[in-house]
Order: sequence, then structure tokens, then C-alpha cells
Amino acid sequence: MPRTIAEKLFSRHNLAGSDVAAGDILEARIDGAMVHYHANEPMHDLALQAGFKDGLPRVWDRDRVFVLLDHHQPTLSQKQADENALIRREVERLGIRCFHDSEPGIAHQMMADYGLMRPGELVVGNDSHTISYGALNCGGIGITRADMLYVLLFGELWFQVPQSVRVVLNGRQRNYPLAKDIILYLAGKYGDDFAGNMSIEYAGSLVPQLSIDSRMCLAAHGVEVGAKLALFPFDDTTRQFVQARTDAPFEPIAADPEARYEKEIVLDVDAMPFVIAKPHQFGNVGPVDEVAGRPIQQAIIGSCANGRFEDVEIAARVLKGRKVARGVRFIISPASQQVYLQCVKAGLIETLLESGAQIATPGCGVCQPKVGFLSDGEACITATTRNFKGRKGSMKADIYLAGPLTVAAAALAGKIVDPREVFDGR
Amino acid sequence: MAVDLNRALQGRVWKFGDSIETDAINPYYRYPTMEELKQHTMEAYRPEFPKEVRPGDILVAGRNFGCGSSRPGLVLREVGIVAIIAESVARLFLRNSIARAVPIFMAPGITSIVEDGETLEIDYPQARVRNCASGAEVELRKFPPLIEEIFAAGGLPEYAYERYSREVAAR
Repeated sequence: MPRTIAEKLFSRHNLAGSDVAAGDILEARIDGAMVHYHANEPMHDLALQAGFKDGLPRVWDRDRVFVLLDHHQPTLSQKQADENALIRREVERLGIRCFHDSEPGIAHQMMADYGLMRPGELVVGNDSHTISYGALNCGGIGITRADMLYVLLFGELWFQVPQSVRVVLNGRQRNYPLAKDIILYLAGKYGDDFAGNMSIEYAGSLVPQLSIDSRMCLAAHGVEVGAKLALFPFDDTTRQFVQARTDAPFEPIAADPEARYEKEIVLDVDAMPFVIAKPHQFGNVGPVDEVAGRPIQQAIIGSCANGRFEDVEIAARVLKGRKVARGVRFIISPASQQVYLQCVKAGLIETLLESGAQIATPGCGVCQPKVGFLSDGEACITATTRNFKGRKGSMKADIYLAGPLTVAAAALAGKIVDPREVFDGR
Repeated sequence: MAVDLNRALQGRVWKFGDSIETDAINPYYRYPTMEELKQHTMEAYRPEFPKEVRPGDILVAGRNFGCGSSRPGLVLREVGIVAIIAESVARLFLRNSIARAVPIFMAPGITSIVEDGETLEIDYPQARVRNCASGAEVELRKFPPLIEEIFAAGGLPEYAYERYSREVAAR
């Protein structure tokens, strides 16, 4: 029977050895487990609650557990420092070999930077944006902290094989990143759960033209439209990216031509307007023109959705030789130290500092109420993951989500504008 | 704590809309302790909820309940919610609820048979949810046996502990 990527992924990892199809429940073998700043919960707190008197008694494979202390680097409170210290002790006790400690950044980006997840694998993480690994044809799935305890002990976990939705992106890559506009547009048109519990498979003429950075943005945002997996086909771009980072072997997965999809969505990106998500939901999307003129006090580029080289690069291109508008705090946070270094070497950081932007330490803080709070009545335009009420502090602030070009244009203008007013989008 | 899904439940309904997100259910960035969370859960949608919710109440919601970050809804159990019933549940919230044994059910059509403040009856063995006043009912989706076992064990960490203990005993 012809199968989707998700069906092949779970068949390959099914402990029972049999082929599975959409709807089947199985126990799957796990290739890798990414544990981030909440590692103390599965390793310690939840283990004690479950009855393990001395914390987690073991990890199933010391080479397949990756602990990355991402959200809390550098620490912002005594509590975080104490939690990190506990995690260091637990990592030592359990003999976990892959531990990124004193390195700020977003765990998902570091998993890519260091080749820790690969095409065809089933890799889980206790963070919703683990789904971003699908950019590399890797079965990245976000799980919960309690699920992670089970994985750490046994290297197995239950899943239901998802149905699949095929998203066909046709068109031409422009001279700026398109990924954020694409996913916002889809969420606006088809709803913020159009892929609820499903596996997204991307296809179409645009896909081979998309950078890994753009694919990671689209894959990360799979969770914002409800998906369990968001998978890209494996191609030469993937191969070059992965082989530059790891010598480990891997076996990509392609869908069968006659595979069965629950639905298919086709988008012509050439006809797509610049879009923006208005407060307070990801799917509350309209053309940028709808809210043009709205003054903003803060602009952000960063996160696992938009903290990559091409996101910082477009901001630098827009701002080169120009100044951030008076009264606007423009905060840029590269996704990882490696991305930061790449930006420094390319001269982007110098350009941005000269324009008046602020560079924040790599990490998740700019996407949470941790770095860059908003006050009552303020508005922020941001290329990060979410715009829920209170996501940046005040419950009386407005958060608009947009692509990095639209955010940079707003930072320059001091208000939301159609980016073509300040940038020659071709 | 072991959860008996088969126990019949009746309770007063708090009705919410679609895409209720976890920053509002569990705003732990702002309120890091459970005591604080209990005073602020769901206030982004209904400020009176934390003050007026009573033990035994049932939470009804539309589609995509619990979207957003992966955060458990333990605070809802702590304020007394005995069951959550939604048109559909975001997958990580569902995983969290199963793994932490917070009773949650999916019943397509639920929002059309009950209004805020009415009384609802949940009958898991019969796979039915019924509005006690109007008698209107919809079907509730039953879980596969593995998930029922996890609820019965009191959650996935507890289920893991049972499995690990069996392995150690068999050595």
C-alpha cells in the first residue's frame, strides 16, 4: 500500500515490527531525545513523584539523550541558577554525554547546528517546537515532560500515526524570506488548526528554492497550526546542510507517489500579499495594509521561527545606512551562538548596531515574557512564534506577528507599513 | 493519582470558545507557584473564572483546546475542574493530560448541546455526554486500551515506575 512520510517513519520505528497506517496506535523506538531547560522535571521532580526514590535510575542510551540548557542562559534569577545546577548534577549522575551547558541559544537550532538530528530519524523533545526538525526530513515531535521521563527510561513512546495534509507551495523565491508570510497566510485562510494532529508534507515548485532557514521556520510553525509533524522532502540542500555537520549515516524518507492525504492545500506564493497576525491569535491574519499606520514601540526578530541568518540578514539589508525610528526598541536575537557568529562574520551585526538596533543574547527569551517586556497600551511587531495575550508581559499590550522584512520595515518607519514602501521587494 | 474514567460525572459547565491557549490556562511565567496560578488561570478569557469556579465543575470548550506551548493543565484540576470536554484538543495538551492523568474528553458537537452554567453528565462506559436539563446528548470518543491503562496508573511517570519495577523484579 502506498504510504506517506509519517506512515513510513512510524513503520520504520514500530517496536512490533509491522507496518502501520494513519490512525494506528503504536509503541515506537526513539532515535534521539532532546531535553532542554526543564530537564529537572523528567529527571528529578516527576521521577520522585512517580516513586523513584533517588530520581531517574538510568537513561536508556547515554549517546541518544541531548541536554541543552537553552531557555535559561544566562540565568535571569536565582531559581533558574539553582535549577541549572540540579540539571548539571543529574546529567553527571546519569552519564549523559551530549550536554550543551554554558552556551546560550535555542535548543532546536543547536540540534541542527551540531548535526544531532538527521533525516529519517524519530527524535522527540520536551518542547512544542521540536517539530522544526522536519525541515531536515527528520521526524521531530514535541512531547510532554512526563512523556520524556518514559522515553529517558525506555527509549520508547506511544504514538498515534497521524493523517497527512499535503501543502503544495508553488512560485518563485523573492529577494527576501517568504516562510513567515506563507504560514501566517495559511493559518489565516484555513484556520489555526488546519493541520490539527496531522502531519504536514510540503511539496511544490517553491520547495527546492527554499533555504534550510526558511524550511525551519515553516516546520517550527507546524505546531501553530496544530500539526504533529511538519516534513520537508530530502534534497541536495538537505544533504549539504547535514553532511557539513555530521558524519553519522542517515536514511531519508520519501512519500510514495500514490500516498493517501486527508487533504491537499495549494498556495501560489507569487499572488500572496504581505500578511500580519493581529492580536491575540496566530490565525487572526490579514494583509499588512489592514493595520498600516499603527504606531509601534517595539520590534523583534528572533526565536526558533525567525532567529536565523536570513532573518537577521534581511533586517540588516533594510536598515543599512538608515536608523531605527525614534521611540522604537528594535531587538534582534540570533537563534544560537553559531548563527550569531555567522552574522558577525558577514558584517550584519555592525550594520544593525549602527542603525540603532539592540542585539540580545541568543535564546528563547525574546519570544516569552523574559526579555523585552511590553507595558500597558504598547504595541509590538515581532517575527517570533506567538502573539497570545500577555506573551510579552502586559495583558493590555498588542502583539502583531509578521515576517522579518515587515518587522524591519516597521522598525524603520516607527509604525506598521507595507514593506515595499521602504524596500525594493523583487 | 489513579483516575477511574468509568466513574460517572455530573457538574456545572464553564463554557469557553475555540483555540483556548496554554499561556492563559497555565500562565506560569507570570505566576510561578500553583497557589498564584490558581488565582489567575483562564482570566485572560474570563476574569471571574478563578474566583467563581467550584470543585466539581466541568470545563467545556470548542475546537483546538490547549493550543500553544506544551504545558500541563494541572491547575484546572487544582481549582476543582473534574473533567474537560472539547470539540477537539491540541495534541500536546492532550498528551499532557493523558500523561498527568487529568480527565479530558473529546466530544464533537459538545458546544451545541450545552450552555454556560448548565449541568452536564459524562458517561464514559456508554461513550455519552448528556445535558441534564434538555436531555440532548452527543457521543464521546473512547480512548484505546493503552491510554486507559495510563489513566488507571495515575499518569505516565507512574506507569513507567510500574514497568520499571516489573523489569527489576524479573531480573
